[in-house]
Amino acid sequence: MSLQGWLENNWLVKHRTSAEEIASLLAIVERDLSNSQVAGLSPDWRLNIAYNAALQAAGAALAAAGFRAAREQHHYRTIQSLAFTLGWTAEKIGQLDNFRKKRNIGGYEIAGLVSEQEAGEMRELALALRDDVLAWLRKNHPKLLRR
Amino acid sequence: MGSTIPSPETLPPLFGKTRQALLALLYTHPDEPRLQEQLIQSAALGRGTVQRELEFLVRAGIARRTVQGRQVYFQANPDCPIYPELRSLIVKTAGVADVLRAALAPIAARIRAAFIYGSVARSEERRASDVDVMIIGEVTFAEASRALGSTQKTLAREVNPSVYPPAELRAKLAAKNHFLRTVIKGEKIFLIGDERELARLARK
Repeated sequence: MSLQGWLENNWLVKHRTSAEEIASLLAIVERDLSNSQVAGLSPDWRLNIAYNAALQAAGAALAAAGFRAAREQHHYRTIQSLAFTLGWTAEKIGQLDNFRKKRNIGGYEIAGLVSEQEAGEMRELALALRDDVLAWLRKNHPKLLRR
Repeated sequence: MGSTIPSPETLPPLFGKTRQALLALLYTHPDEPRLQEQLIQSAALGRGTVQRELEFLVRAGIARRTVQGRQVYFQANPDCPIYPELRSLIVKTAGVADVLRAALAPIAARIRAAFIYGSVARSEERRASDVDVMIIGEVTFAEASRALGSTQKTLAREVNPSVYPPAELRAKLAAKNHFLRTVIKGEKIFLIGDERELARLARK
């Protein structure tokens, strides 16, 4: 499979991005990375915010590659697309996807489910992803990175 | 940890190998009719032995046999008077708990207590029920998810770990965290440690 194959399966839609769009996605990533450590927020919510930072970072890479995930399973596809954009390993993608599942339970079903430990781990993963996305953009799509 | 009560891991003292294998296959997925052929393959035992045992289980009312066209299916019999007891016994021993316990083995040294909670522990699961696992110890969520990841295929359902270091567990219980209090008070199937160890961890 490839992103082109995903497009044929209607898992992705073609998307023409711009330096402005990438900049605003990266701004969301930074905002959420910073908000994910605000004291006084519950770990459920901090995990949610750090997860959103990761999702937007993955979405920025996908946009730079010329696509966005279709509406159905949007989060899942955006996360899995990291294999084709950044070349993330199945293990790292699996880690992020496990947080997606946890967020679904912690965010919508059970309050107080997420531990400090888990929220912290999600933030670390989002930071690592942000760094990888920036390095990848610099190398592969330097024009999309406005100075 | 420090427990003197051995946790039941398998059923051999109660049942023979074939009966144990078939009960585990039928009673961990009670809503799912299993093809006779599939049971023979999964049990990895002789065809004749499996067929005789299945006949016995049907005669005893523990399993149900249905025929569809040329296919013969077997399924746990929910009308069996001891169905709830048998099911709970299987889940706690040869079923889900065994699979999870084995999967946690590589990181078990850093886990103080681990147990199944939620609908599976309360024996009210339906086929699609997720298995919720609470892990208290010095492991990361990533390690726990990795260890338990492969069991999702074996059990054909989602396994959701929650990881709490002992200090955080105590702090949250002291702060009356509703979720943790409910889990600690609720039904559990222990994978590592036991109720006494958990009480000790919560109190310390």
